Amino acid sequence: MARESFDKEIQFLRMLVLTSGAYTRSQLADRLGVSIPTVDKTIRNLKEAAGAAMAGAGDAGLDLADQLRYSYHGAADPMLLFLFRAKSVKASESVRIPLLLGALKESSLTVMELLDFCCAALPADLAAPDEKTIRSDLKYLEEVGVICKAGSGRPSRYRLNDDLIRELSAEELLDLYDFVDIMANTQIPSVQGYLLREGLQKHLSRSAEPGAGELASFGYKYHYYSRILDEAHLFPILSAIRERRRISFLYFSPKTEKSYSSRNTNPLFEKEAQGRKNHVLPLKVVYDHQYGRWYLLGWGKGSLIKFRLEGIIGMDSEEAVSEDEMSMKIIQLEDAIRYSWLIDTGRPIKVRARFFNPGAGFNFVRERVLLQGQWGEIVEEEQESNSFLYEIVVNGITEIKPWLRSFGSSCEIVEPRHLRAQMIQEWKEIASYYESV
Amino acid sequence: MNPFEKIFNYQIASRLEDGGISTVTSHERSWLKGMLLHPAASEALMPETRLKLERLLEGVQALEPGSALISRAGSHERQVYHPHLRQLRQLIVSRSGFRITYEYKNGSAQTAQKGMPYKLEYSMVKREWYLLWYSQQHRMLMRSRLNGIHSVQAETLETMERERWMRASRIYLESHRGETIIQIVREYNEELSRIMYAFSCFEKEVAYDAEEDSYRVTLSYPRDEQDFLLSKLRFLGKRVRIVQGHYLKQRMRETAEKALRRYGVEISEMETN
Repeated sequence: MARESFDKEIQFLRMLVLTSGAYTRSQLADRLGVSIPTVDKTIRNLKEAAGAAMAGAGDAGLDLADQLRYSYHGAADPMLLFLFRAKSVKASESVRIPLLLGALKESSLTVMELLDFCCAALPADLAAPDEKTIRSDLKYLEEVGVICKAGSGRPSRYRLNDDLIRELSAEELLDLYDFVDIMANTQIPSVQGYLLREGLQKHLSRSAEPGAGELASFGYKYHYYSRILDEAHLFPILSAIRERRRISFLYFSPKTEKSYSSRNTNPLFEKEAQGRKNHVLPLKVVYDHQYGRWYLLGWGKGSLIKFRLEGIIGMDSEEAVSEDEMSMKIIQLEDAIRYSWLIDTGRPIKVRARFFNPGAGFNFVRERVLLQGQWGEIVEEEQESNSFLYEIVVNGITEIKPWLRSFGSSCEIVEPRHLRAQMIQEWKEIASYYESV
Repeated sequence: MNPFEKIFNYQIASRLEDGGISTVTSHERSWLKGMLLHPAASEALMPETRLKLERLLEGVQALEPGSALISRAGSHERQVYHPHLRQLRQLIVSRSGFRITYEYKNGSAQTAQKGMPYKLEYSMVKREWYLLWYSQQHRMLMRSRLNGIHSVQAETLETMERERWMRASRIYLESHRGETIIQIVREYNEELSRIMYAFSCFEKEVAYDAEEDSYRVTLSYPRDEQDFLLSKLRFLGKRVRIVQGHYLKQRMRETAEKALRRYGVEISEMETN
């Protein structure tokens, strides 16, 4: 069976989240490169997963886009996490696995004991499993670390591998919950942390400690909560980097209208795929804090090459390259991005800008420059005009320009001249937008 | 490691929950082990807890992408955990009141102010923790940096009073919200994705006019974060235009004028040119 892909769901959710219900079904279908019935089916499936995974969000009358609408003061749980709960399982499996784990929660058991238990406990309308099925379930559960062998006796006995929860006191679990909550929200990657957070949350609310129902007292402001959608691609790419493997994928540049294209399995109807097929040796993944977006940097077609993770679909891993080749390419890449504000590999250029403190009180401008100015330095402070000079060497001016512009009149570009000229031109255009105000 | 696992499936997850069964996967252990390497771990967890966790995670491969995953253009991570968090979250959970001594950024101090902690908030931009708390004296919700808090003493709070303060806090948050409509300048529709990403940290609604092929974004934001919104709009520059919200429009106009003046360009000259 082909590996289950969530590309369509990811593209779909991203579009819903970013454009917050702006599109009709047919506009969505058009942009995703799928049919309207496919859109409807995707919405149905996602709603089912979302409804089960998010408490209180399963209201069938609510639009999926409304369910996902960002409400900072309303929700503390990561809304898009349900995507990672969408992997399909057979109906029998979805009953059997919890049964097995429930039995193992009480005591450690052998395969045959579990088989007997399962046969007795399964609802009458479900066929009783055979030994082979139970063995393969246990193998899977052991691989994924949920159970482990208890002791080394024969036949093997299995037990729930929940020491992490069981051996901590209630107070320690609360501290752990806070730590996991903070790290999952402020660090990358997050998905596994969010899953752990959810597990701890449920455990703590079950244990009925006073006040345990009020776990969600932390909030995170200006958080790009949609970034976890791209973590679906992140882990396969990181494994490929570790294994020095090339990968292939279709790429839809975010600048094109379409972001997906259904893969037609019937060769008679096979259409030219919309995206471009790429073969790339992945070298690094970059997370851009300014926009909450991810990039893949790699080597393809004889040069360094960049992709946005959101445009990647249908990823497969290919052959591995030698250690020498990999390290040579990584060195080359590191050299090329040493001075990238984000990922620009253009010519390094020195930017000098004068920043002015707008008021007499606390110098917020200076604080922000120090906080966000990356490796740039304050080279000169002038008391009289209450200003300072900031210098940085960056690859090209395109990526740093929005940041400099965000300071408004508190920032004056000194060098290079062409950046100064561009900034003047842009402010003129912006001024013209508000002429009549 | 593939984050899509059967064990995470929503049907399985809800049956496990019904059965009161807690599970931890190797994915989660591996992530946790990676995070324990972060300096914040030693502040957030008691030494005994950390040792215990390290022992429990022995032999687990840490999820630690190292130099294969890098971050760019973020604020320096000056604070992830803050020592006041533990006490304050306990006060919030136990519905307690407090007396708080803190100082403003300009150095002036406030001593033993009576109030109630409401919410702890981390700013991903400032990389700093804040406490939202109700102040009895000011009868409003305050926002104080945890770094500026000198001390906090728990104080019992009558249920009636607590309810009143909670209600007042909620009303404060609701009533101190602003709304604005931003138009994406059509020649930049190609950059829609980038622009929408930039707005994705706000509460928003997007309307698309297919005939005009134009997008309008209605943003809703706490009014004390207006300056952050303006910096975002300046960040996007000429790609976006405020179409509703007089005050914001005025501020943008002023900024453009002042910025041009820095370069020796006067708007009045521009208009006559």
